[in-house]
Amino acid sequence: MIGLEHYLTVAATLFVIGIFGIFLNRKNVIILLMSIELMLLAVNINLVAFSAYLADLTGQVFTLFVLTVAAAEAAIGLAILVCFFRNRGTIDVEDVNVMKG
Amino acid sequence: METIILFSPLVGALICGFGWKLIGEKAAQYTATGFLFLACFLSWIVFLTFNGETQQIQILRWIESGSLSTDWAIRLDRLTAIMLIVITSVSALVHLYSFGYMAHDENFDDAKESYRPRFFAYLSFFTFAMLMLVTADNLVQMFFGWEGVGLASYLLIGFYFRKPSANAAAIKAFVVNRVGDFGFALGIFAIFFMVDSIRFDDIFAAAPELAEAKISFLWTEWNAIELICVLLFIGAMGKSAQFILHTWLPDAMEGPTPVSALIHAATMVTAGVFLVCRMSPLMEFAPMATNFIIIMGAVTAFFAATVGLVQNDIKRVIAYSTCSQLGYMFVAAGVGVYSVAMFHLLTHAFFKAMLFLGAGSVIHGMHHEQDMRNYGGLRHKMPYTFWAMMIGTLAITGVGIPLLYIGFPVGFAGFVSKDAIIESAFAATDPAARFAFWSLVVAALFTSFYSWRLMFMTFYGEPRGDKHTHEHAHESPMTMVAPLGVLAIGAIFAGMVWYKPFFGSEEAVDKFFGVTKSEEHAQVLMIGAAYAATETADDTHGEAKDDHDAVAAVPGQGALYRAPDNHVLHDAHYVPVWVKLSPFFAMLIGFLTAYQFYIRQPDWPGKLAENQKHLYQFLLNKWYVDEIYDFLFVKPAMWLGRFLWKKGDGNVIDGGLNGLAMGVVPFFTRLAGRAQSGYIFTYAFWMVIGIAFLITWMTLSGGAE
Amino acid sequence: MQPGDLSVILPEIILSLFAMAGLMVGAYGGKDKTAPMLVWTTSALMVALAAWIGLQGAGRAVAFGGMFIDDGFARFAKVTVLLSAAAILLMSEGYMQRRGLLRFEYPLLIALAAVGMMMMVSAGDLIALYMGLELQSLALYVVASLRRDSVKSTEAGLKYFVLGALSSGLLLYGASLTYGFAGTTLFSGIIEAAQGELPLGLLFGLAFISAGLAFKVSAAPFHMWTPDVYEGAPTPITAFFATAPKMAAMGLFARVVHDAFGGIVGDWQQILAFLSVASMYLGAVAAIGQTNIKRLMAYSSIAHMGFALMGLAAGTAFGVQAMLVYMAIYITMNIGTFAFIMSMEKDGAPVVTIASLSQYSRRDPLKALAMLVLLFSLAGVPPLVGFFGKYYVLLAAVDAGLGWLAVAGVIASVIGAFYYLRIVYLMYFGAEDSELDAGASPILSGFLVASAAIMVLGVVNLFGVEAVAEAAAATLVN
Repeated sequence: MIGLEHYLTVAATLFVIGIFGIFLNRKNVIILLMSIELMLLAVNINLVAFSAYLADLTGQVFTLFVLTVAAAEAAIGLAILVCFFRNRGTIDVEDVNVMKG
Repeated sequence: METIILFSPLVGALICGFGWKLIGEKAAQYTATGFLFLACFLSWIVFLTFNGETQQIQILRWIESGSLSTDWAIRLDRLTAIMLIVITSVSALVHLYSFGYMAHDENFDDAKESYRPRFFAYLSFFTFAMLMLVTADNLVQMFFGWEGVGLASYLLIGFYFRKPSANAAAIKAFVVNRVGDFGFALGIFAIFFMVDSIRFDDIFAAAPELAEAKISFLWTEWNAIELICVLLFIGAMGKSAQFILHTWLPDAMEGPTPVSALIHAATMVTAGVFLVCRMSPLMEFAPMATNFIIIMGAVTAFFAATVGLVQNDIKRVIAYSTCSQLGYMFVAAGVGVYSVAMFHLLTHAFFKAMLFLGAGSVIHGMHHEQDMRNYGGLRHKMPYTFWAMMIGTLAITGVGIPLLYIGFPVGFAGFVSKDAIIESAFAATDPAARFAFWSLVVAALFTSFYSWRLMFMTFYGEPRGDKHTHEHAHESPMTMVAPLGVLAIGAIFAGMVWYKPFFGSEEAVDKFFGVTKSEEHAQVLMIGAAYAATETADDTHGEAKDDHDAVAAVPGQGALYRAPDNHVLHDAHYVPVWVKLSPFFAMLIGFLTAYQFYIRQPDWPGKLAENQKHLYQFLLNKWYVDEIYDFLFVKPAMWLGRFLWKKGDGNVIDGGLNGLAMGVVPFFTRLAGRAQSGYIFTYAFWMVIGIAFLITWMTLSGGAE
Repeated sequence: MQPGDLSVILPEIILSLFAMAGLMVGAYGGKDKTAPMLVWTTSALMVALAAWIGLQGAGRAVAFGGMFIDDGFARFAKVTVLLSAAAILLMSEGYMQRRGLLRFEYPLLIALAAVGMMMMVSAGDLIALYMGLELQSLALYVVASLRRDSVKSTEAGLKYFVLGALSSGLLLYGASLTYGFAGTTLFSGIIEAAQGELPLGLLFGLAFISAGLAFKVSAAPFHMWTPDVYEGAPTPITAFFATAPKMAAMGLFARVVHDAFGGIVGDWQQILAFLSVASMYLGAVAAIGQTNIKRLMAYSSIAHMGFALMGLAAGTAFGVQAMLVYMAIYITMNIGTFAFIMSMEKDGAPVVTIASLSQYSRRDPLKALAMLVLLFSLAGVPPLVGFFGKYYVLLAAVDAGLGWLAVAGVIASVIGAFYYLRIVYLMYFGAEDSELDAGASPILSGFLVASAAIMVLGVVNLFGVEAVAEAAAATLVN
């Protein structure tokens, strides 16, 4: 029997993978966007699992909102990334360091 | 009108001090002087039309904190009115005089620096602060003015800021005054502690209760009113340069001479006397404190006079003379004849300001030479100055016709007021009064001697010192001579004109000072807290006095307060003839001795100094007070300062703080800079560290409450 | 949904409709030529809305079943947000115009961000919170990289975006946990669940949400984006970042901790106190090494947020009041300071190095004096208004028994004063002559001088903001 704990564990694992993707990855910024997406999806799993567990629809409504926003976020993120690429000619995470200190 | 008087010097000071670049140097000086003459003119109107009834003129609400509620208000009574004319008149004349005196000054570069507007602004600011002091309706306001004049005094003594001696003198004046101010402040605190108010009306009304109350201070139980009065008097001692705290006044002569005339002779130094008179309703209930005042005043009068005998700097002679005369005033206030103290304050303001301005004129004419040993025979070169100084000397030494009374005594101002003090001292019943009487008589002798010595050394005999200077000695311009003339009128007539209101019958004085008597209050006094010993009065004066005593003045009702059993003012008119003659003969002996020493046998002083070497040195070094202070306070303070500076500050604080500022903080700055690597993953990593920390913390401590 | 609900969010609706209409006008009307007009109308509308909201008076309205709360606290925050956004827009017009950055999207994105902020401070539900936050953030990501042809600007946008998304993720994860353990997303429901001994899930939720919000207020250690984004973004955008979003995020923070977690003050007090101390010290220490005035202002804002958080950490109505007063003062100071930074030019090109201010007082005494007042105020030197802001939060902390926090704050402000005073020192006693151009547009000078004047004149009664903030705080904490 798969219970709430299992869902929460999966979500937590995905979330941590997402976070690690952000600060361990040093190559491509696209991977960062994917990691972010992963985190948001982990949250969605959480929300849906709780929603089902609590027999309360709010969680699923929240999920839809998150999905929508995530789409918008990805669009904006990619747009900024394109601009950055035009200027810098690279999208390596290690090259995003003009400003520091 | 009172408001205009109070604020016009401030306006003048602000315009002159901050606006002179806009309106020009000359215009600024005219503005400041003009505003003061306006204030002076109005002051005289106020003084002459004043009916004696105390008025309060509210200006603004000032401090509201807990039960401390302070309005900024002008308290106009006779005391204030007298001070108003003294301050504004002398100040206006000094402003005028300064046009001439400050025209050239070798301490400054005329082409490059503008020091005159600064000088005038300081003078006007001082006048404002002094007016604040005397018009105060409560102690805090008074303290404000008190510190204001202290500041102005500091600025003006140190006016020649390039002279190290002037700076040192300014600091000395400031520091010594702090000692007194500390006492004053403690007094205010004590009053607020006991009365829960600092308004004069409340304080005076509470005086009888205060006389009964006890207060704990320095681990000892004190009678509240005695302690308060002594503390207040310590403040007065600082400001009025009384013995122990007098050392700053002679040094203050480093300032320009008009300043000496205005601040260190006529007005600021009399603030202490004013304070004691203002607090008369308290003083009257504090016999121990008044005895203390009498002793200090008498000692100062005597001490300063002795030192004055041998000084050679013309301004220092007058400075010690001021010190001594202030002692006279305190004796008068101490024995309970406040009106006489104010009387001498008034006359002294005229003749001492004149002496200073005259001395300034001499110094000006002699190209800033101040040593009397280099003067001599100047009376032909500076006739006006000579006559002014002569009148001043006649006034201070107390020349007059004794025992002649034609509705008023005939004599110069100093004659009338000084004799009044000496007679009062004799008539007083305080334990210290007899001592004070003899001190004052001897001091009068010395006063006469050093004053005439000054005259003879300066204006008579052969020119001494630098020949060149003497050839170029000249009379001062009209702007300097004219104020002398005005002050001369005061020095001659002030005593005779105002004899009655200040030292006439008790009724005349009471009327002048607006003291009203009420039977009702006398009852309260007797029942409530009859420290004022009505019973003893009953015993000694018998039935006849009973009615009189039942009609007692209300403390704080008029400008002054006299306890019901205080009849010094009355008794002073009935002292033996020899007492009345004593100051006159003291003056005569002083004059003849000076004449003998400096006109007939000019070699005597040197011989005497040779014979009495130790005494001479003792006096010349001002009783070694400065040296004692140097040993007791200055040296240890220097040592402590040096110790803290080298060891404490240098090693501990600088080491510690600099270590922190130069070592630890930059270390963290570098660390923070390095953490800000510019890489997204570093930033994300820090955020994760943060959230991990928060979660761990919440897990460990969460739900703990 | 009821018809009455719409009237409660009418200001938000008006502003978003205006933004959409503006997009149409811009897209079909004449592209960037319409931009100046849009800037003026946007700011005019914001001022009008601020006036409307401000004059609505007392009262508390709840819409959409508790998701949207309109109370005194929200109104205070909204007025501050709208006014500061309008001020920044007005100031930036000339600057953006001369650098060819005045695109028509710019005022509209700001307007949309403002809608998001208004939503944030009125949020009564986790979903509303998230939507407001994202609406604000998405708009800000874009404006940060508004200068499309600049590496710095786009890099700033990219960094802001990635880290912002990470923080949103953290916040969302916390929101999901909170939802799961409280059983509802409504604040009014959460506060009932979050009482006494908490399940670990709710504590985690609180920690994650706090972390997400701390990112938005740029509190250490979630501050790392701030200096880079401040440096990279065009100066007017930086000015905007430093003002309105900070108020909104701080308002949201206050709303969450009081409305949703008001029952467990002791728990979040620790978090906030930690964030506060870390921010104050990091802001003070790291700013010392800066040579770029925009980066310096970034660290300065981090330190200031630490102080504002101190007020919030008190956990009392007085603490919230102190925080609101502090934010109002902080925003006023920053508007003036950024007006000055925007006017720093050499031969028409913007200059941001601190060294260029050397001897600036000779070049333009009035502006230098105004800047001196502002810097002193930022440093918290009495008797300027900035000092009273600090005094308030310190008082709140002491009142709440957080004496150690107050002491730490005093020390941090002493360290922090150093770098402000260093600028003053440079302006007046610097070794080299300033090469900056003198003078500035009347609008910039006006804002600069007005802001400085407020810092001086406000000492009388802080323009009555205390009383308003007190009333606002009372509606949040009861």
